[in-house]
Amino acid sequence: MENITAFDTGEQERVLSHDRRTFRKKEAVGNVKNKMRYIHHAPIRVWHWVNATAFIFLLVTGVQIRFAEQLDWFSLEEAIHLHNYVGFMVISNYCLWLFYSLASGQIRLYLPSCKNMIRKIKEQVVYYSYGIFRGDHNPHAVTPECKFNVMQQQTYALIMFVLLPLQIVTGLFLWEIKRFENYIQFMGGIRIVNLLHVVLFFFFAAFMIGHLYLSTLGHTPLAHIKAMFTGYEEE
Amino acid sequence: MNIMTHGCATIIFSCTLLFWSSWSSAIGNNECMECHGDSSLGRTKSQGINNSLFVDQKVFQYSIHNINGIQCVDCHADITELATDQDVPHSLSLAPVNCAGCHEAEASEYMKGVHQQASSKGMTIQCYACHGYHDVVSVENRSVLERENRSCLKCHEPAKFHNWLPQKDTHFTFVQCTVCHAPETPHRIHLRFYDLAKKEFLQPEAVLAALGTDFDGFLAKFNTDGRADELNAEEFDNMVFALNRRGVHASFHAELLSEREPRIHQITKVAAKRTCEDCHAPDSKFFESVALFFVDRDGRAHQYAVDRKVLESYSVNNFYVPGGARMRQLDMFGIFAVVGAGVGVTLHLLGRVVTGPLRKRRKANEKGE
Repeated sequence: MENITAFDTGEQERVLSHDRRTFRKKEAVGNVKNKMRYIHHAPIRVWHWVNATAFIFLLVTGVQIRFAEQLDWFSLEEAIHLHNYVGFMVISNYCLWLFYSLASGQIRLYLPSCKNMIRKIKEQVVYYSYGIFRGDHNPHAVTPECKFNVMQQQTYALIMFVLLPLQIVTGLFLWEIKRFENYIQFMGGIRIVNLLHVVLFFFFAAFMIGHLYLSTLGHTPLAHIKAMFTGYEEE
Repeated sequence: MNIMTHGCATIIFSCTLLFWSSWSSAIGNNECMECHGDSSLGRTKSQGINNSLFVDQKVFQYSIHNINGIQCVDCHADITELATDQDVPHSLSLAPVNCAGCHEAEASEYMKGVHQQASSKGMTIQCYACHGYHDVVSVENRSVLERENRSCLKCHEPAKFHNWLPQKDTHFTFVQCTVCHAPETPHRIHLRFYDLAKKEFLQPEAVLAALGTDFDGFLAKFNTDGRADELNAEEFDNMVFALNRRGVHASFHAELLSEREPRIHQITKVAAKRTCEDCHAPDSKFFESVALFFVDRDGRAHQYAVDRKVLESYSVNNFYVPGGARMRQLDMFGIFAVVGAGVGVTLHLLGRVVTGPLRKRRKANEKGE
């Protein structure tokens, strides 16, 4: 592959090497800043933003349904219909994520590795609770083979393999109670199913707040968010 | 024979005659059933349609009218005597039964409803179209589905016309049609002991025996707040715990039913309830009246008032109204979790803002080195 060298004006230099997914970004002052690596595949990025938008709709309509007498964003009827439609979007989106992750092998990114797990968890906790205030470097380096730190890995694995499927299943049961009444009764009754769905709703609401904040903890506040559009993370 | 004897004989004869005449003019049901108890009895109308005139005694004997001692001729009032020497001992064409003669209030309410208005479209909907005639039973101890099957569902297919309603099948199962379509009628939630595994109602006698009480002593057994006429939420939970300790793990089946008042006959379409928030709110008037409902072996209903907060209890796990019977403690937990996340994030951000100069200084030192 030929190398294309940078201009002296300090414009962006693109180095095409045997690894075509890396390039060096030059600052205006002409210094090489950070190496960018291709981390987030296009299907994953599409899945992420569809999911994020759908989650926001579901959270808002879910709040309207639960607190119908106190809020007036939608009528209860509208909120329920919208919640059902967007719920099916999330189910389809999840199925696409699962299919792609399995087919591409990306699913292994979510499988926690037991090697040095406790040490890694400790390092990450110390970093977020202390080191980050001092300006320490993040102990975890993002690579295509290991894009999540150990805490992210465990949280996302819990969400994608346990909590989100549970939310989907309970949501389906609540969508048509009569159709699924045998399964609902198997789970202990409609109140149990609703309890699970609402507890997870509160969990995902709290998670969204944490997730939005943690996404700003890159090299710059928008680094990770840009990466989720472009696919490239700074090393 | 002297005058005294003659006089007595006359009096006795007159009394006998009077008794005989009164006895013979009161037409008993058994006389009617001599013909109408025959399953083959019928008539062929001019269009060739066969009209059965059979009255099933086995069904009629349990009807509300028979139980209350109402005779055939009390409704078929134009039959005053039977000409037993004729093939048909009464008029071939009888007048329609006037239900309003006894059910005046119901008839008055009915006249204001949509079924009466149908007569302007050429449809005459008589009382018996919904209620039947010889098999009218009390619906006091019947479930929502039983009440609807006996009346509304004879003509109506609600699934076709309620597409705007989320969870319409669930509504049709747990909410009586008249709750929305006769909104002026008072309503009540009935809670009945239900076995989720066997999918059947528990026998109240078995439940009361497990609790060591009977129908009369039930409320007093769990009363702790001095109010002998109602179980509050805590007393209700205590009752459920007592049952659990005795190996009776019951859930509750709850239904929203209309009270059996004349106003229930004022059925409306345009003024039917369509605002979801009227029901799906914690202070909804639809849940003001809640009762624990038993039907004993004889079919008699026993009701015990309970506090509406019972509907928020974990024990009532087979009935849930989103927004209306939600567990408030869960809301507190959820708000705590979400606010906690917000507070945690805010504190972390503040920490980073405050330590910003420290990080800049350190970076500058590292560059200098």
